Amino acid sequence: MANYDCVGVVGGGSWGTTLAHILGQCGHNVLLGLRDPKVMEEVNRQHRNSKYTEGAALSEKITAVQDLALLAQRCEVIFMALPASSFREVAYRLGNYLQGDQIMVSGCKGLEVGTRARITSIIREETCIRKIGVLSGPDLFVEILQGSPSATVIASYYQEVLDKVRKLLFTPFFKVYANADVLGVELGGVVKNIISIAAGIVDGLGFGVNCKAFLLTRGLAEMGRIGAAMGANPTTFTGLSGIGDLILSCSSKLSRNYRVGYYLAQGKTLPQIFEEMKFVAEGINTAEVIHEYAKEHRLEVPLMEGVYQILHKERNIHEVVSELLNRPSKLEIDMTLFEYKNSQ
Amino acid sequence: MRVEDRERVIEEVVSRVVQEKIEAAFRTKSSLETIINDTIYHERRRLESGKLNKKEKQDLLYWKKINKRFLNASEEEQKKILKEIVTGFTQEIMGYFNPRVYRVVTKLVPWGVSLLLGLLHPALWWSTFPKLAKLSERIVIQGEVKLLQALDKIGTVILVPTHSTHMDSLAAGFALHQLGLPPYTYGAGLNLFTNNLISYFMQNLGAYKVDRKKTAGLYKDVLKEYATITLELGYDNLFFPGGTRIRTGAVETHLKLGLLGTGLSAYINNVKHQKQDPNIFVVPCTLSYPLVLEAATLIDDFLKETGKSRYIIEDDEFTQPRRILSYLHALTHLHSHIYVTIAPAMDLFGNCVDMQGVPYDKRGRPLDISRYVMVAGKVEHDVQRDSVYTRELSQEILQAFHKHNVAMCTHIVAFVVHQLLSKNNPEMDLYRLLRTGGKEENLPLRDICEAVERVLGQLQKLAAQGEIRLDAKLQGKGVEAIVDCALAHFAAYHTKPVMFRRGDRIYPNDHNLLYYYHNRLQNYGLEKCV
Repeated sequence: MANYDCVGVVGGGSWGTTLAHILGQCGHNVLLGLRDPKVMEEVNRQHRNSKYTEGAALSEKITAVQDLALLAQRCEVIFMALPASSFREVAYRLGNYLQGDQIMVSGCKGLEVGTRARITSIIREETCIRKIGVLSGPDLFVEILQGSPSATVIASYYQEVLDKVRKLLFTPFFKVYANADVLGVELGGVVKNIISIAAGIVDGLGFGVNCKAFLLTRGLAEMGRIGAAMGANPTTFTGLSGIGDLILSCSSKLSRNYRVGYYLAQGKTLPQIFEEMKFVAEGINTAEVIHEYAKEHRLEVPLMEGVYQILHKERNIHEVVSELLNRPSKLEIDMTLFEYKNSQ
Repeated sequence: MRVEDRERVIEEVVSRVVQEKIEAAFRTKSSLETIINDTIYHERRRLESGKLNKKEKQDLLYWKKINKRFLNASEEEQKKILKEIVTGFTQEIMGYFNPRVYRVVTKLVPWGVSLLLGLLHPALWWSTFPKLAKLSERIVIQGEVKLLQALDKIGTVILVPTHSTHMDSLAAGFALHQLGLPPYTYGAGLNLFTNNLISYFMQNLGAYKVDRKKTAGLYKDVLKEYATITLELGYDNLFFPGGTRIRTGAVETHLKLGLLGTGLSAYINNVKHQKQDPNIFVVPCTLSYPLVLEAATLIDDFLKETGKSRYIIEDDEFTQPRRILSYLHALTHLHSHIYVTIAPAMDLFGNCVDMQGVPYDKRGRPLDISRYVMVAGKVEHDVQRDSVYTRELSQEILQAFHKHNVAMCTHIVAFVVHQLLSKNNPEMDLYRLLRTGGKEENLPLRDICEAVERVLGQLQKLAAQGEIRLDAKLQGKGVEAIVDCALAHFAAYHTKPVMFRRGDRIYPNDHNLLYYYHNRLQNYGLEKCV
C-alpha cells in the first residue's frame, strides 16, 4: 500500500521552484522533479536555482530528482508547474506511475495550442488522477521568495483537495483561499495573460494610468464574457485568480506577458523578444486559442482580438490601437453575464 | 428480490437507514424529531391534497396516528417510530422475484409486448396477437453485447438506458432476455402498478415500486439504500438515470445522480467487506424509436410548463390500450426498427473496462479503482468525494447516450423542417413559431430534400467518427425515399399526421410533434447544414 512521505512538485522553473520552497518552508519534505541535471545538482548541493529563481536561497527540505517514478511513489500530492506546451508529455510519463488516491494540482496558466485543452482536461486524459486542483493567483515568484505576503486560490471539485492543499501551504506569508469553480479559476489565470500583454503595450506606448485603468476594466469584462461562454461563474473573475492576477500582471514589469507587450510597443519583434527572455509567456499561445474560440462562438472580445492581431498577424500596434479606440462604445456592464447558474 | 433474501434485505435497509439517521442527528446536534416531523409533513401534504383511494385513506389514517404518537414521544419512542416508518417504506418498495413466473413469461417473450398489451386489455390481445407476434423481430439489439454478457458473469451490472417512453422497460427487458441475461431489478413508477395483473407480473419480474409522489427525504433514503443493498447482494439493476421520461424528445443532457450514486456506495461496501467480486459495472444503453408512443403528451407537457413538468403523468398513451395497439401496429406495418444499443461498459468512475472486468484509464493503462476510494490507505465513504465521482460518471454516460443514439428518417426530416421554419421566421421565438407555424403554410419539397441531403452527409461523417449511429434502413436510400419514409411514419400513428405531402410541397401539420422529433438530433452541430 502507498507510503507517501513527501510532497511533489514537477517543474524546476521559477514557479515550480518557488512552490517547492514554500512547501519546504512549511516543513514538508519536497521532491522537486526536473530535467536539467545541472539545476538538480545546484538545488541539492547549494539549495539554489540560479537559472530560474535568481539565486535565491531555497528550503533545504527540497530534493531535486529526475526520476518521475520515485516522485509518484512517494508523493500523495503533486504540484505541476510546467508550461502548457510540455504539460501533456510530462503528465503522460508521470501517469505511468500514478494511482487513483493521489492528488494533482496544476499551477500552469495556459491552454494547449491545437487542441485548446485546459490543463485539467489534459490531466484527466493522460493520467488516472481524479482529485485535481488548480492553483492560481497573483503570485510573483521574486516577492514570494523574499517572504512578502501573497495570496492565491486553490480550486477543486473535491473538498479533500481544497483541505489538503490549504494545509500543505499553510504559512503566514502565503495565504491560500478555496474555490469550487475550477473552470473559472483556471480560465482567470489563462486569459488574463492576454490582457497583460495589452497592458505592456499601453505602458510601452506611454499612455498613462487612465488608459491602464480603462484597459483593466474592459479586459476584465472580456474575461467574464469568455468565462461565461465556457461555463464558468463570472463572479470568480472578481477574485484573486481573476482581477487579482490581472492587477498584478498588468502592473508589474516582472510579469513575462507584460514584458512581451512592453517590448513589442518599444519596437522589438517577437523573435527578438524570445531570444532575450528565457521564460515562456503563455499569453502568446493563449491569444491564438481565445481568438479561435471567440470566433467560433461569436464573442465580442476586441482587446484580446487586438492582441492576437499584433502577435500572430503582425499588425502594426498603432493601427490596432487606433481601431480599438474608434470602436463605438456600448453598455458598460452586461448584466446577462450574471445570470450564470451554478450547474455543479 | 429472491424470497430467501427478503427478510435479510428488509432488516439491513432498516438497520442502515435508522442507524445513519441516529448518527446524523448526533453529529449535527439535532434530534430525530426533525426527520420524523418532516416525513409526516410531506406524507400528510401528499395525502391531503387530492381525491383518495382506499389505500390512500388508510395511509392518511396511519400518518395521523403516527403524528399523535410522535407528539408525546420520548427519545426511545422516536427511535421506534422512525424504525416503523422505515420498515413500512421498505416493505412497500420491495419487489418480489418469482423465478417460476419469470420462466412462464419469458417463454412467451417473442410475443412479450403483445402479452403486455393483453394484460392491459385481454380482448385486444386476442384480436391482434398474430400481427403483433412479429413485433419482436423489429427490435434490433446492437453494440457491445458480448462485453455486457461477459461482465454479467463476473460482476454486478447496472444497465442505464435513455428514457423517452414507458416502452423502454419492455424494450430493455426484451433485450436482456434475448441476450440470455437474467432479469434486472428496477424501480418502476407506482403508476405502472395500478393494473393488478400488471402489478403482479412486474413485481415477479424484478421491478420494485417507486412512488414519485412521496417527496420526504427519508423515503428517498430508503429507496437508495434498498438499491445499494440489492447491488451488494449481486442483483443486476436497471436505472433510468434521466429520472423520468425526457419531455423534449432529445437525448438526455443531464442525469439525476441520487440512484446512480448507489452503485459507488455498494462498491465501497463490497470492498470494505472484502467481497470476492466487488466490481459493479455500468452499461449505458441508448433506446431509439422512429416514433414515440407518448410523444404528444410529453412534448405538450414540456411546452405547457417548461421546466415545471408534471413529472408524473398518469393519463398518457401508455394507459390507453388502443393507442398502444395503434402504435405497435404502425411499427410492424412500416417494418420499422427499435434500436437497443449497448454502449461500452464502464466502471463506477467512468473508466472503460474489458471482458475480464479490468478498468483502464484513457491511455489504456490498467487501474486499481479501489485506490479512488481510499482515505489514508483505507477504503472509506466520503459523501462529497463520491458525489463528484458520480457526477463525473454521469458525464461519461451522457456521452455514451449521445454517441449511440440512432438517427432515423423521422428525426432527420423533422430536424430539417423545423430548422427551415426557424430560419424562415427569424423574428419568431420558439413558442410563437410552434403556435403559429410561421409565415408559410408549406415548404417546397426540393428545399427539404436538399437540406436532408446535407444533414445526412454530415451525419454520415459523424457516424464514421463514432459520434452517432444511423438507422440501417437509411443505407442506400435516396433523399426522397427518406422523406417518404418519414412521412409514412408520421401519418401512421399520431392522431394527426406530423406533416404531409401535397404535390411538391410539404405541409407541417403538428408543430409540437415536429419539434419533438427534431430534438432527437440536437447537440450534434447539424444546424449549420440546414
